[in-house]
Amino acid sequence: MIKKMLAWFSILLFAIFSIYPVLYVLSVSLRGDNAFQSQSLEIITSTSTVKNFIDLFTATNFLLWLRNSLFISFVTTLLGVTFASTSAYALSRYRFRGRNLMLFSLLATQMFPPTMLILPFYIILSKMELIDSFWGLFIIYSSTALPFCVWQMKAYYDTIPKELEEAALLDGCSRWKTFYKIILPVSSPALVITALFSFLASWSEYVIAAVVLQDPQLYTLPLGLRSFQASLATQWGLYAAGALIVSVPVLVLFISISRYLVSGLTIGSVKG
Amino acid sequence: MKTFIFPLLFSALLFGSFSEAKPIRIQLWHQMIYGHRVVLSDALRAFEKENPDIYIQETYRETEELRSSYQAAAMGGSGPELVFGPSDQIGPFAAMNIIRPLDEVLEPEYFNQFDPLATPIYKDKHYMIGGAVGNHLMLIYNKKLLTNPPKNSDELIALGKQHTLDTNGDGSIDRYGLVFNYTEPFFFAPFIPAFGEPFMTTDGKPQLNTQALRKTFEFILELRDKHKIIPKECDYETANALFKQGKAAMLINGDWSWGDYKDAKMDFGIARIPMIVSTQKWPSPLVGTAGYSLNANIKNPEHLAAAIKVLKYLTSDKVQMMFTERVGVLPSNLKIRETEAVKTNPLLQISSNIMEVGTPMPVVPEVRGVWDSLRIQYQKLLAGTLTPDQAAEGAQKLAEEQISAMNEVVQPDFGSTVIKVLSLFLVIALIWFTRNSLMTFVKGFQGPQKFVYYMMLPAFIGIFAVIIYPFFYNIAISFSNFSLLTFQNWSIVGFQHYVAALGDAKFYSLLLKTVIWTVVNVFFHVSIGIFLAVIINQVLPAKAFWRTLFIIPWAVPQYITALTWRGMFNQEYGPINQFLQQFLHMSPVQWLSQPFTAFAACIVTNVWLGFPFMMIVALGGLQSIPHTLYEAAYLDKANAWQRFRHITLPLLMPVMVPAALLGCIWTFNNLNIVWLVSNGGEPGDQTHILVSYVYKAAFNLYRYGYAAAVSVLIFLILVGWSLISLANHFRKEMK
Repeated sequence: MIKKMLAWFSILLFAIFSIYPVLYVLSVSLRGDNAFQSQSLEIITSTSTVKNFIDLFTATNFLLWLRNSLFISFVTTLLGVTFASTSAYALSRYRFRGRNLMLFSLLATQMFPPTMLILPFYIILSKMELIDSFWGLFIIYSSTALPFCVWQMKAYYDTIPKELEEAALLDGCSRWKTFYKIILPVSSPALVITALFSFLASWSEYVIAAVVLQDPQLYTLPLGLRSFQASLATQWGLYAAGALIVSVPVLVLFISISRYLVSGLTIGSVKG
Repeated sequence: MKTFIFPLLFSALLFGSFSEAKPIRIQLWHQMIYGHRVVLSDALRAFEKENPDIYIQETYRETEELRSSYQAAAMGGSGPELVFGPSDQIGPFAAMNIIRPLDEVLEPEYFNQFDPLATPIYKDKHYMIGGAVGNHLMLIYNKKLLTNPPKNSDELIALGKQHTLDTNGDGSIDRYGLVFNYTEPFFFAPFIPAFGEPFMTTDGKPQLNTQALRKTFEFILELRDKHKIIPKECDYETANALFKQGKAAMLINGDWSWGDYKDAKMDFGIARIPMIVSTQKWPSPLVGTAGYSLNANIKNPEHLAAAIKVLKYLTSDKVQMMFTERVGVLPSNLKIRETEAVKTNPLLQISSNIMEVGTPMPVVPEVRGVWDSLRIQYQKLLAGTLTPDQAAEGAQKLAEEQISAMNEVVQPDFGSTVIKVLSLFLVIALIWFTRNSLMTFVKGFQGPQKFVYYMMLPAFIGIFAVIIYPFFYNIAISFSNFSLLTFQNWSIVGFQHYVAALGDAKFYSLLLKTVIWTVVNVFFHVSIGIFLAVIINQVLPAKAFWRTLFIIPWAVPQYITALTWRGMFNQEYGPINQFLQQFLHMSPVQWLSQPFTAFAACIVTNVWLGFPFMMIVALGGLQSIPHTLYEAAYLDKANAWQRFRHITLPLLMPVMVPAALLGCIWTFNNLNIVWLVSNGGEPGDQTHILVSYVYKAAFNLYRYGYAAAVSVLIFLILVGWSLISLANHFRKEMK
């Protein structure tokens, strides 16, 4: 009984820890006076108003940013899933020249401080005339998410018994068809994780987008939100309202795939 | 659907060639605050109507970001035609040769129509024309609380004490006499000359080890500790919020803030910052301009002509009047100063009166080194770790060091030849020794394994372009003298940056701090993750609900998380301190102004951000543990702890170890949280980890070569570490 109480107590404590900051943003977004700070601990006060949310949709380019972000994230996810699933399959099933090097360099890419890559990114993209174009972002986003996704997919493929493909190959299936028809369908948890990570990599990325996109018509959500922030005069209310809305799609995504999330992230490592 | 096609069309346009008939696009990057942005946009649209052959694309960037993205763009040989910003960006931009002297394109008489403040001179040339002048600090007071502003420092203190009140008697102050962002040196700089001499000579030499700076330090400390008329901790947002809510009688702020207070329907007055009694001198706010500069990279003469036309338009009478009338700035055109609209505006009149005691903002690049070292020492003083004497002495020393580091042009030594020869040799050796492998690799595209190669190819190209190439580019920079003065013609110089970094005790203390940061974070991520997973898995109903609840922190983008937590740790207003006060009756903690607690605040934030991932991984791991094991343990009468210790934990290890290793790498290199929560290393540069130190060296102090060298060292440390800890994993993998 005491143990149960303790468990409940600690879980409630952590629940507050995990949810309070979000409520705090909510409370800022509901304030009318555009102040980040107030001396009350209440979330909703008598002066609370949804004006900031209305302004966000009517008086700013929020919808445009949302569309741009959705488009970019969608394409990035598509590219990321395609590249990760094929290359991870090759790494998992075949032994070829450069495999070990590839595996290690995938991991090593995670070790270089990402901020120092901005300058070279800019130079490559401007040489390719991809500044101010979504293509530049597609390439960078899908590739930066790749190392993690490839490792993730590979760990999952490793757990799929080889007999499955061998049977198909004996029956005369081509290798591509075997991959496409047999392996991909059973890998859905890992595919979902890969999709999620590719999506996250582009959805809330700010630094690279800020360098690549210069035309306000092409702005993504993080860039748009940042424009409410000036060094000495921030539109806190709008910013907070936008921040909440940005988090919603990710949360919905998490909830809808949480079943896969749990199995996809771990199965590879457990059995592999 | 249209908007989905639009970006594609747009990029198609970029690939295609522009035809002659298309209007010329002029890009303008600016950092105007919201209210000013609206006026700018209206002005530009009016211009486009009159000049259909030109269209202007304005892009907002926050000040620091504007600086770094403009530098990056200019390095790539492009960038906007026009850039708008405060006058202190002229120095670095001109030193890098990325903005153009305006004397080359405008008549000498053209400059005469402006207030000299609006046409600052750097090395005998004009680089900017400001649309307005000011940007200066003043005393702003709430007329509801105060009828007459204090004239001197004694009155300021007396009035301050009178208005610092605990109205409800709960022991905490409800209204302050004076508030201002006293954590930033810019806001206390006006006092320095008032206590003696200025903090910088006109030719950009720091002058910080002075009696004036000591007295100023003491003055601020007295306001806080002796007279207690300012809050214990007060950044810009706090000061602004207190003043707007009527919880502060007086505020020191700049002319840019008026619009905000007008919008809040405040009845406010402005005045000079009160005279210092002991010296009988007025505090001297820095007076400057924010204006337009021309990109040095414009090659097409038509673009240049169009850009100059836009520049002239934006500084014209018409546009200046628009800004003056709508957002109340003081026009830079001397003729407009004499118009009724300006002369009858009481705010502008008092404002120009305040400006009479001001000091022109220095534009030399060195000023950044002065601000930075002043900030570091000042914040240490506020945190109580330095006396005014030590702080002033240290500030001078630090400023001189930073300036010489910034202006350093490393000369090539024998190391550069070694590197050139060595890299040539390495490339040849690499090709020679791998020639068989390379041949097999190339042949692979036709051989029986071609399926594998085509499966790998897209990912390979992507990773190569985006990660491998930039990586080698950085290695090249790390051997070069790429910095402020060699921005456009850097060359390989040798190992100096590595020698400097490895010979600096700071590198090792930062490394130690980064290791602590990583270990503490990952420890909490993993232990909280496992703890929650076990409880959710065994004890609670509605597993899915709890799982979702604890995923929330993961769903919030990092930059939002960081700013939110920064607000929560605020001394005056943050919910954390309010909770401590209201429920635990503790005194408020000055989280962000003490190095230890500020670092702890960064850690708490990052723990919040990172535990959900580990929890999900642990939940997955738990599901794969067979129930029969627990049943056997029950039969053996093992208690809960024993079951956890001998069954759960060992079986979770294979899942948690790889996740934790990856977590370590991510945490080690996580810039966002430390940078944003500590506001770039505050207080006094004591909350840096290696990556934030690199970021600062590169983007704030223009030491690209040095920063690249440190980042290569970070990489080597991580590779070495992971090779050791992953040795087992790899042995299995590489078979």
